Amino acid sequence: MALKRGRGVAGGWYGIARTASIDRASTWAELDDGGTAKVVTGVTEIGEGILTVLAQIAAEELGVRPWEVTIGDNDTARAPEAAHAGATRQTYMIGNSVALACREARQRLYEQMADHWGVEVSSLASRDGEIWSEGSNHRCTMREAVDISKKRGVVPVGSANFTAHHTGLDGQDGSGRPWQAYVFGAQVAEVEVDTMTGEVQVLGIWAAHDVGRAVNPKGVEGQIEGGVVQAIGQGLMEHYETKDGRTTTPGFAKYILPTALDVPKVTSVIVEDPDPIGPLGVKGIGEPAMVPTIPAVMNAIYDAIGVRITSLPATPDKIVEALRKKNESAKAVQSAA
Amino acid sequence: MPDMIVEATVNGRKIKKIAQTHQRLLDFVREELELTGTKDGCGAGECGACSMFVDGRLVKSCLVPVGKAQGSEVETIEGLGRTGELSVMQKAFHKAGASQCGYCIPGMVMAATAAIRVNPAVGDEEIKERLGGNICRCTGYQKIFDAVGLARDVMNGRLPATALDEDAAEGGRYIGANVRRLDAPSKVSGALKYAGDQVMPQMLHVQVLRSPHAHARIVSIDTSEAEAMEGVEAVVTSADVPGKDGFGVFVHDQPIMARGKVRYVGEAIAAVAAEDLLTAKRALQKIRIEWEQLAGLFDPDEAMQAGAPVVHDYAPDNLVKHIPIRKGDVERGFAEADLVIEERFETQQVEHAYLEPEAGIGYVDPDGVVTIVSPSQNITHHRHMLAEILAMPINKVRFVMSPVGGGFGGKEDMIYQGMLALLAIKSRRPVKLVFTREESIATTAKRHPSRTSYRMGLTNDGRIVASEIRVIYDGGAYGMSTEGVIRKGAILAAGPYAVPNVKIDTYGVYTNNTPSGAFRSFGSLQTQFATESMLDMAAENLGLDPFEIRRINAMQAGDLTHTKQELKSVSLLQCLDGAEKASGWETGAPTVRGATREDLDGEGCRKPCRLGARFHAEIPAPKLSEVA
Repeated sequence: MALKRGRGVAGGWYGIARTASIDRASTWAELDDGGTAKVVTGVTEIGEGILTVLAQIAAEELGVRPWEVTIGDNDTARAPEAAHAGATRQTYMIGNSVALACREARQRLYEQMADHWGVEVSSLASRDGEIWSEGSNHRCTMREAVDISKKRGVVPVGSANFTAHHTGLDGQDGSGRPWQAYVFGAQVAEVEVDTMTGEVQVLGIWAAHDVGRAVNPKGVEGQIEGGVVQAIGQGLMEHYETKDGRTTTPGFAKYILPTALDVPKVTSVIVEDPDPIGPLGVKGIGEPAMVPTIPAVMNAIYDAIGVRITSLPATPDKIVEALRKKNESAKAVQSAA
Repeated sequence: MPDMIVEATVNGRKIKKIAQTHQRLLDFVREELELTGTKDGCGAGECGACSMFVDGRLVKSCLVPVGKAQGSEVETIEGLGRTGELSVMQKAFHKAGASQCGYCIPGMVMAATAAIRVNPAVGDEEIKERLGGNICRCTGYQKIFDAVGLARDVMNGRLPATALDEDAAEGGRYIGANVRRLDAPSKVSGALKYAGDQVMPQMLHVQVLRSPHAHARIVSIDTSEAEAMEGVEAVVTSADVPGKDGFGVFVHDQPIMARGKVRYVGEAIAAVAAEDLLTAKRALQKIRIEWEQLAGLFDPDEAMQAGAPVVHDYAPDNLVKHIPIRKGDVERGFAEADLVIEERFETQQVEHAYLEPEAGIGYVDPDGVVTIVSPSQNITHHRHMLAEILAMPINKVRFVMSPVGGGFGGKEDMIYQGMLALLAIKSRRPVKLVFTREESIATTAKRHPSRTSYRMGLTNDGRIVASEIRVIYDGGAYGMSTEGVIRKGAILAAGPYAVPNVKIDTYGVYTNNTPSGAFRSFGSLQTQFATESMLDMAAENLGLDPFEIRRINAMQAGDLTHTKQELKSVSLLQCLDGAEKASGWETGAPTVRGATREDLDGEGCRKPCRLGARFHAEIPAPKLSEVA
């Protein structure tokens, strides 16, 4: 058994939100009784943690705590349109719309409190459930402030829409502005290849990705780690196969997925190059996380054993076959010489 | 089916319930005891979502006939936090960010709990081995390993219990803080109700009749025998669609159920709603279909040839879409090149394999609003399409998102919600459909397989002067997201590099293969795999370090993209620097130098997996002579 190690690198890029067409998302926000908040938007949590991200954004914008924010999520008869969960768009599109809606609700509260205290609106600030006027001793809890506002006849609500101005592609040369925000990434992979069995183990991935601004760094890491492992699945083992249109991989016994024993250690490097257009500077990470992984792994396999895999997945039998061909041609060269 | 009485202790309480002998322990716990924290992910013992304890032993409850649990002590995820407080393991999953979609998490928490119970000092490598029977599709497992290690250390007193608490956000700044996921407690405890966990009074159960043929004309469908069965409340086919029958993300080419012909194996033909699942399954066998076989089309290159079988009449050339991108003059670019590399790349069809199979509930509410509850990634669009299909005003169609147990693009298509609507309208009762794993794998969209021909020209100093890329994507039987996939694939194909001369053509074609659809990274994974492989091949030829060749070509602020858009800011160089520094990369051209590298096996690497090596023998191994 010969175990060979190698390393490879790959870059990648990605566009954020819907491609080549205008994208939009909207939100309703309310500073609620007890100094809590209600944020309603057509967001769809698909596991990435967007509800927590939105609660963090709302909390920071309103001056409350994330766990005091209730997110009313997707229901076409109850929430304003924020469109689909895909295209790495939810933090960018919905996150920005939540920020704008919360700013409007906060402004409505601030106007009442400034009048109540006899100070300028611009002197007001709020954080962690408290509201105060800078340069004065006016300060109270958000609970009290909402109560004061309501007794003055005003419910502090806000609504907002965020738009991404994209254009379609020209039908002849493809020119156009498909996205307004782009992200970039680069990953290094380290592999071990067993030249006897052809098995490849990915031992380490170092993944650097621009997310604009990380709202929840641990969540960003989770997206990178999950994306990397999905890519390793496609790179090394997953293959949905059909014969005459009928699947021959109908269950997880035939369709092989990465398990706890297959995954590399992932070191994430979060790069923050703020989006200059949106109010928060955030971009996204869901899809781009998996883009550089496969070529980085294939480049690492080449570094280890001198075999370039151009047809996915790089299964053990493909590796063994490629090594056999490589050795044969090396022998042919030798005997010719 | 005969019934039996099951007596057991479940989560510390004695229970005595009637069960059906064919039920699995999983069904009994979920349906008879209404403990839905335990999930059904595959029904074949392969994913671990149904893990629970029986007499103290971790089992996959989908493999246990309910009769085997007679008299035993059963502990489910609901039993861990019985006092109302999460267990240390559950708190550790919360703190570590170990749950994403959450569907695998109850089973994962049970397996992790078992690891600690078996070995309270369980090592990091042994944790991986003990979780090896549980699949997670979202997290990449790393945060789960972190959680189990954290729980172990808290239980052993190596860390204080406060290590499980929320980290304070500095100065109330919550953007940028590692706030614990707000939905995690509901996921680690099994309390969250996914669509398949939900029930409604008077609810009927739905089964779908699917095509055994890849390409065949439906001469006739006779559902009368099925409809006459006791317990069958409604049967629907395409004849029941009142409006304009078609859905899809870009082109609405897919009927709710096959209309006139089937285009792939597994395509829905008819759906039955019955009082129970078994009756619905039996009713499917009573539906008679007369077929006329058609020639099948399974190869995307063949699809583009004249005379190939036609999948959709509206597209006689089997073309879903072609996206051209042109910049500069590639032939002039190749003429300037010192090095021209050509290669072909292929990528395969891939399954999303979210742990939650498709599921949904449909009902008509008291105001006549047709309501669909399902784990859909795009209910906004689904509402538009379903209103047209049902010929109803848009505010009389309502979609409610149920918790999504993983999507990755695979739950963007409205492949079953239309059947639920038709059955709810026809039966006037709530209806529920849950896919089996096999049904989910065989009938839902996949990642587009691709074939790429690539030609890249470079100068001796490493600059790319021309890229010519042609990609054929197999869209399968229906359009779904193909148009968008090949568009994104085209726009990003040449990579984040300033290439003056570019010629890109991507094609999406129809075949009679399982449809391809949206999948995380949406067509660009295929093309960027090719570009990044080509760059390393070029770097080897030119004697350049792979980071260096990427830096030489990296787009920078002010550069034009391949679609001639000026970029205001580009972070590629920062990302390259970040990856290079973090990995401690040893500079050098990619000339198969793995054997001589000195940057290998650093702290960012795990140990290679050697089968069984992670279990520490508690008893010294006997000497060979003693064994003999």
